Amino acid sequence: MLKSFPAVSSPTQQNPKQTMGREDLAREALILLRNRLCNPRFVFSPFAHSPDSNYSKLKFIVSSSVTEASNNSVLLLGPRGCSKNAVLELVIEEVLKEYPDTISVIKLNGLLHSDDNCALKEIARQLCMEHQLLFSKMASFDDNTQFMISMLKESGLAHKTVIFLLDEFDLFAQGKQRLLYSLLDAMQSLTSQAVVIGVSSRLDADQLLEKRVRSRFSHRKLLFLPPSKEDLQRLLKHILELPTESSLPHDYVSEFNSSLLNILADERFKQLIDTLTTSDSTCSHLLKFLFSAVSHMNVETGLLSIDNFKAALASIQRQPKLECLNDCSILELYILVCMRRLEVKEQDSYNFNSVMKEYKSIHDSFQTSDYYSLNVCLRAFEHLLARELISFMDHRGHNQSIEFRPVKLLISYHELYQGLKSYRSCPAILQKLIDREG
Amino acid sequence: MGKEESPQVIRRTTRSSATSTPNSHNLAEPTIPSNLQAMTLDDLTFGDEPISFEDLISSFPGRRIQVHELIGLMGPLNSPMIPLFVYGGASTGKTSVVLQVFRHLNRPFVYSSCRTCYSPRILFESILNQLLLHRKDAGNGYSSAKRCEKPSDFVNLLREALLTVVSNLKGDLGKSSLKKKGGRVKGKMVYLVIDNLELLRQWDKSATVLPFLFKLYDILNVPEVGFVFISSTSPDTYYLDTGYVEPIPVYFPDYTEDHLREIFMRNQANPKLYSSFLDLVLRPLSRITRRVDELSAAFSPLFKKYCEPLSDMRVAPSEEMKRRLFSHLQPHIMPSLNEVFRVSSKPSSEGKVNKEKAKRKGIAQRFGGSPPFDELEFHMSTSAKYLLISAFLASRNPATLDASMFDSTGGSDNRKRKRKSSEKAIDNKEMAEQELFMKGPGTFPMERLLAIFQCITSVAEYSLEEEDKATNGLGVESGDSGLMSDVLLQLSSLCNANFISKGGSCPLEGSTRYRSTVSEDMALKVARSLKFPLSKYLYRN
Repeated sequence: MLKSFPAVSSPTQQNPKQTMGREDLAREALILLRNRLCNPRFVFSPFAHSPDSNYSKLKFIVSSSVTEASNNSVLLLGPRGCSKNAVLELVIEEVLKEYPDTISVIKLNGLLHSDDNCALKEIARQLCMEHQLLFSKMASFDDNTQFMISMLKESGLAHKTVIFLLDEFDLFAQGKQRLLYSLLDAMQSLTSQAVVIGVSSRLDADQLLEKRVRSRFSHRKLLFLPPSKEDLQRLLKHILELPTESSLPHDYVSEFNSSLLNILADERFKQLIDTLTTSDSTCSHLLKFLFSAVSHMNVETGLLSIDNFKAALASIQRQPKLECLNDCSILELYILVCMRRLEVKEQDSYNFNSVMKEYKSIHDSFQTSDYYSLNVCLRAFEHLLARELISFMDHRGHNQSIEFRPVKLLISYHELYQGLKSYRSCPAILQKLIDREG
Repeated sequence: MGKEESPQVIRRTTRSSATSTPNSHNLAEPTIPSNLQAMTLDDLTFGDEPISFEDLISSFPGRRIQVHELIGLMGPLNSPMIPLFVYGGASTGKTSVVLQVFRHLNRPFVYSSCRTCYSPRILFESILNQLLLHRKDAGNGYSSAKRCEKPSDFVNLLREALLTVVSNLKGDLGKSSLKKKGGRVKGKMVYLVIDNLELLRQWDKSATVLPFLFKLYDILNVPEVGFVFISSTSPDTYYLDTGYVEPIPVYFPDYTEDHLREIFMRNQANPKLYSSFLDLVLRPLSRITRRVDELSAAFSPLFKKYCEPLSDMRVAPSEEMKRRLFSHLQPHIMPSLNEVFRVSSKPSSEGKVNKEKAKRKGIAQRFGGSPPFDELEFHMSTSAKYLLISAFLASRNPATLDASMFDSTGGSDNRKRKRKSSEKAIDNKEMAEQELFMKGPGTFPMERLLAIFQCITSVAEYSLEEEDKATNGLGVESGDSGLMSDVLLQLSSLCNANFISKGGSCPLEGSTRYRSTVSEDMALKVARSLKFPLSKYLYRN
C-alpha cells in the first residue's frame, strides 16, 4: 500500500515551463474534485430540479412570500448532514438572483447567538451593513429591538423582504425566547414583510417553543432525509466524474471517467458503499468518505482505484477503543484485566488500591514475570486515565489523591477480549484470565 | 539522546517545545527572533528552510504511513480541505509531524495550543493575533490586536482576518510568479492548527465552545481555510449531545519496539555500543511503557552505568566485552524497572548521581528488600515537619484513640495501651483495611491537628532533652511558644504546597476539615529526619 503514495510535491514542479505531465494532470484533477467535495452547493445541485424535492418546495415558499409581499415562517428539520443548509443556500442564491434589490438576508447561528442580547446585536449589525448605516456597539437590547422593528416596517413599506436564517434553531428556543417572540410578533403586523427560516436537527424543534411563540409561528415544516440508494449512485457519479469541457485534455478525462464507471459498477465497490451506509447514510458522511478516497489517489497513474476507496473506508470507520488497547503497554493491560476481574466479582466500587491488591493476588497465584512496584503501576494507571480507557466514577473529591478515588472501566468485556486477542505479544496468562471471565 | 543536542527553534515558544522532541534532530540552526522587523506573511510559515520529503520521512521513524496520509489529505497546492482530526497517545509525534509537514509543504498556518491558551478568549485572540501579524510588545502594552471574548465576535473577526490574509496571499502569488524568489509562502490556503484539544473539554464553557470549534469550518464558509485538530484522546471521547460535522480522523499509533529502537538509535555517537545496550534494556522497559519521553529519561542513567567499565567510549564492543558489560548492567536493570519514572529533582553531575545511587543501594541492602529510602529532597522548617507528621497522624489514626496515644507522659508507655485497645480490632482488621483502601486518609478539624502537634512537639523536646542534654536540642529548644507562634502560617503554606488538602466543611460542626495527602513513605522519611519515632504513634489494626 505504501508504494501507492508518491511524494506529492516534488521539487521539479517548481518549473512552470515543464509540459503538463501525467502527475500535473492528476494534480489538477485532484484540485477539481476536492473543490467539488468542499462545495455543498455543487454537490446538491442535481437535486434542485425535480418538482417534489425540498428545494422546489422551499423555493416556492420563499419566492411566493417575496412576490405576494407576505410574512412567512418555515422549519427545515432532519438529521445532521442531510443537506439542509446546502439546499437553503442554493435557494437563497437563486432567489437573490431572481429578485435582486428586494431581499436582504440576515444569518444567525444558534451556536453563536443563542443569547438574545447577542442575537439582536448581530441582527442590527447585519442590517446596518446591508443598508450602509453606522452600527453602534454600545446600543442596548431595547435600542436594537426598536431598530429591528422599525427596519422591518421600513423595508415592508419599500416592498423589500427580510429573510432571517436561524441555523441550529433549537438553541434559540432555550431561555425566554425573547428573540423569537419579537421577531414573530413583528411579523404579525400588515406592514412588515419577512420570512423566518429555522434549521434544526431536532425533529421536535417546534415543540420547544413557548405557547406565545408557537401561536405566532406558521407550522410549515420540511423534512430532510438521508438520500436513497439511487440518489447516492447519482450523487457519486455527479461528484466524481470529470467534466468533458474543461482545461484538462480530453483523452485523460475520458480515461479517468471510463475507469471510474468501471469502479462504480464493480460489485466490490457496491459492498463498500453498503458497509458505509449501514453505519451512517447521510450525505456528509459520504462526502467525508469520498474526500478521503480522493486524497488517497495515486498521482502517478492519475486514476482512482478500488483500493483508494477501501483505504478510505478503513480510515473513516475506526475503532478507537481497540486502537487504544493495542497502544497499551503490557503492564497497562494487566491493570485493565485486574479491573475487569474486580467488576466480575461485583465489587460495586473499587479504586487503585483494590486494583493493586488484585494485581498482587494474580502475581501470587501465577508467578508472573511482570510484577512492578506501586509507583510504576500508579504511573501506568495514570496513562490509562489519560487514554480514557478508565475514568473516575465521579467528579467530586478532587482533593483526594488518585489512589483512593473510585474508578470504572470505560470498555466492555467484549472490547477488552478483542483487544487482548489482537495485541501482538499479549502474555498468555492474561489471555487465560480473560477467557475464564467470559 | 537527541533531546539535549537538538537545537532550539525559538521563534515561537509553542513550536520550540514541539520541535525539540528527540525526533527532530536535523532542524536548522537556531534563529534569533528579530523584534524590530514587522511581521510579514512569511511569518505564517514554519520559518526555517523547508525540508525535502525524504528528510521528513527519515526524521520520523515509524511515522511513514501517517506522513503520507497527512500530505495526501492536505492535497495539492490551493485545494480546499475538510477538517482533520489528528489523534493518538501522548508522545507519538502528532504535533511535530503536523508542524514538519507544514514545513515541508511551506504553506501558511496558524498554530495555537489549548494548553497555553487556556480560555476561549485567549485562544481566539491568539489565533487572531497570528493572522493579523500582530506581535505583543512593549509598544502596544502587550495587548492583543483585537479584544474578543464571544464566539460570535470571533467568527466575524476571524472571517475578516482570513479574507485579508487570503487576498494578500493571492496578491503575493501574482507577484511571485513574476520574480521567483520574492514570496516564500506557497498557495492561498491558510491552515488553523489547534493542539491539545482534549484539554478544552475541561473548560467552563466547553459545552458551547467545543461544538462551535468543530462547526467553525461550516460556519465560516471560507473554502480557503483548513482546520487541523490535534488531540491525545480518540474522537469517541468528544461526542456531545448537540453533535457536529465529524472531521476526518488521522490516527497516530504508539511506537512499536522496532520503531523505538530506530528512534533511540538516532544520532548516537557510538551506534554499535548503544545498540548492544538497547538489546538489553529496551524489551523489559517497553513492557512498562512505550512512551519515548519516559523511556529516554530512564535510559540515560542506565547507559551511563553501562559505559562505566569502558575506558574508550568510541570503541565498538566485541562479543566478550558485551558479555562483560551485560554482567555489569544486569543488577541495575531490575531496580530501574521499578523507578522508570523517577526524575531526579536536581540535575546533578554524574559523580553525584553515582554516589547517590551507591548510597541508595547501601540503604536498600540494609533494609533488606524494602523500597529504598531517600533523603528528603526538599527543605522544610522543623516545625513544618512536625506539623506534617501530626497531620499524617490525624489522618491515619482514628480520633477516638488520640487520648490513649498522646497522654501527658508522652509516647513511652502507649505501646501497651495500643496492644490492649487493638485486640478487638483484630477481628475486623480486613474490613478496616478495606476501608482505608477505599476511603483513603481521613479528614480532621484543625483543633485536633493542633492538639496532636502540641503533644508530639512536647514529647520530642522531652526525649531530646533526655537523650543529649549536652548538645542544645535541634530547633525545638525554644519550646512550645516558639513553635506555636506561626503554626497557622505554616499550615496554610503546607496547604498551598499540597501536602495537606483543605476539604469541605463538616455539615455538623461547620468548620473546615483537612486531610493529609502525603504517603506513608514520605511521612516516615520526614520523621526520620527529625529522629521522631513515628511508627510508635501509628495505629495499626
